[in-house]
Amino acid sequence: MKRNRIRTAAFLLAAVMVLSLALSGCGKKSDAGGGDGKKTINILMEDVPDTACVAAHLEEFEAETGITVNIESVNYSSMHEKILTQMLSSTNAYDIIVVDCYWVGEFVTAGWIQPLDDLIESSGFDTSVYIDSMMNMVGEVDGATYMLPFYNYMLSLVYRTDVWEDEALQEGYRQATGKELTVNGTMEDYVEACKYITSVKGESLAGAVMQGLRPDPIAMEWCNYLFSCGGDFYDDNGDIVINSPEAVHALELYVDNMTNAAPSGAPGFGFDEAFNVIAQGGAASYVTYNWMLPKLQNASESSVAGLCDIAPMPGGVSLNAGWGWAIPHNAPDAELSWQFLQWVESFDVCKARALDGGSPTRSDVMSDPEVLEACPYLATVQTIMEQSKMIPIMEDAPQLIEVLGRELSEAVTGSKSAQEALDMVAQEMQEMQ
Amino acid sequence: MRSIRRKNFTVFMLPSLIALLLVLAIPLGYSLITSFFNTNLKYQGLGDFVGLSNYASVLQDEYFIESVVTTAKFTVGVVVVEFLAGLAIALLLNNIRKGRNFFFTIIIVPMMITPIAVGLIWRLLLHANLGIVNYMLSLVGISGQAWLADSSLALKTVMFIDVWQNVPYMVLVILAGLVTLPAEPYEAAAIDGASRTQSFFRLTVPMMLPTFSVVLLLRTITALKTYDLIFVLTRGGPGTSTEVISYHIYQQAFRYLEIGKASAMSYLLLLLIIPIAFLFVRISRNRTA
Repeated sequence: MKRNRIRTAAFLLAAVMVLSLALSGCGKKSDAGGGDGKKTINILMEDVPDTACVAAHLEEFEAETGITVNIESVNYSSMHEKILTQMLSSTNAYDIIVVDCYWVGEFVTAGWIQPLDDLIESSGFDTSVYIDSMMNMVGEVDGATYMLPFYNYMLSLVYRTDVWEDEALQEGYRQATGKELTVNGTMEDYVEACKYITSVKGESLAGAVMQGLRPDPIAMEWCNYLFSCGGDFYDDNGDIVINSPEAVHALELYVDNMTNAAPSGAPGFGFDEAFNVIAQGGAASYVTYNWMLPKLQNASESSVAGLCDIAPMPGGVSLNAGWGWAIPHNAPDAELSWQFLQWVESFDVCKARALDGGSPTRSDVMSDPEVLEACPYLATVQTIMEQSKMIPIMEDAPQLIEVLGRELSEAVTGSKSAQEALDMVAQEMQEMQ
Repeated sequence: MRSIRRKNFTVFMLPSLIALLLVLAIPLGYSLITSFFNTNLKYQGLGDFVGLSNYASVLQDEYFIESVVTTAKFTVGVVVVEFLAGLAIALLLNNIRKGRNFFFTIIIVPMMITPIAVGLIWRLLLHANLGIVNYMLSLVGISGQAWLADSSLALKTVMFIDVWQNVPYMVLVILAGLVTLPAEPYEAAAIDGASRTQSFFRLTVPMMLPTFSVVLLLRTITALKTYDLIFVLTRGGPGTSTEVISYHIYQQAFRYLEIGKASAMSYLLLLLIIPIAFLFVRISRNRTA
């Protein structure tokens, strides 16, 4: 009787083990250096214009090397989770990933992306061509190079020239406030001007469209207000100053603009919804990613093509942000991945991408005469970048963005005052340390 | 004879046991273990043993408590409305002879769409400035609302969308119960002069009670776990007005990577669901008996 039970238990256990082994072979395997001799590179990217710019040139790489490149382009909201599950497996389905700037600390701490220094040294790849701020943000961490900067999405003020230069509107504003209607003033001036435009134009044209969706859209947007009002996350001594008077003032201005100038749906807008409002002529300005400008100037995507321009943030300091190319720690063939990175980040390919509307990170591409002639706004972008700041590189930065997004949204809904919301952010930042 | 029966039992039960072990017992056991450790996905291994401190920290987390309240409001609201609407539609469909299949097919369409797609569709429809809902309202002189951006409206809007998607499920199950009801009691009641209302409350409701119980309990359990609609529609905002427990757990696990704490939260959610599940099993058994 007892023997029978033991035999049954042993049989069950063996069956579980066999099934587990069988199932473990069912995972998706990368084709890099596959048995048929045909090599394939799989890349996970975000569904943004710069990804399309890369995809448009892949045939050249494939013809040159015989290597097939598959780009899996996904929505931003699902990227972090998709990467996370791959990083925790023994092998990665992706040979290359792109990393958002505020994930860098987390990815490096967790050891999810591999240092590229040996590959850079052995291939003689020149990383000095990158804009310093991009290399500091999505390139090097503590002296080691983990990424090559892919594209910058530094935020700035995109505005409608026909509205801000409208003489009747300018005259009305002058009479009402005694000030000039301009995008070049302080944050206070900007918010006042936006409110004026909304009050005059009503529902047909908001002074500003904003992106109040939790967590990234609102956090990214507000950082521009924070930096332009003289605030920051940490001071020079490393102390938390996110609830400083400057930061509180920045949040009060943000809430004021959201409540009194932006369209009613703005507290729930992500960047696509906000983009659609300005692209359909519903807003006079938008604090957004610089690559939005080429989209707005494209008549097939926007009804205000030719009527938009880019300017530094009122107050002068933008949020610098960007993405970097990285090779996962468990990538099947790092040499193969590196071969692609060298090609895609070569001067010629970067220039071609910029001419297609991509957002460059190499200084030689950014200052190339042909690129500047085709994309004159890049000169302004470069100037803005010099005055920009970034979200601090820290392992808990994704958590910080979640907390910041939640508390900013609480302030926007009026559930908390600006001071209460930022005190909570400061408290949770303290707990992260 | 007994030995053969035991062998047959082993052979037929084995696949189910293995499947259960792989997909249920192992993840449940593992997450129970991690709930007692400060496990973080950034670091290898389980981390340090912290006893019940994850549970204590979760119960002191004001946002978790708030998410429990929001989940309760959401669950009660959607289950009650879906049940009443589902019952009304099922009764109507049960009484029509012509075109029942046509109406039935149309009504169950929302149930066949994934919640993510439902969320995306409604997000476009409800765009405060460019959405078709506000446009249609403006045509009849009603001013549009910021459905998903106003903290006093957002939860109600998400509930409405959930109702839109899940009423067909209620209709499906209740109608399946209604068509199996015997005709004799109704004929006898009609002879005795019972009105339609009396027939409904004295005959339909008592005979349908087991079906009602099952459908209400099942829907309560799934409503308690709602995550996808919130993720697509509001991300828990504006403020924390739509942050439900499952979304809070998602944040803890996949954004903060604190699996230990997320597991503790999941077990607390499980504690909420288990009594309901037991009730469901008990009612099902009684019904079978």
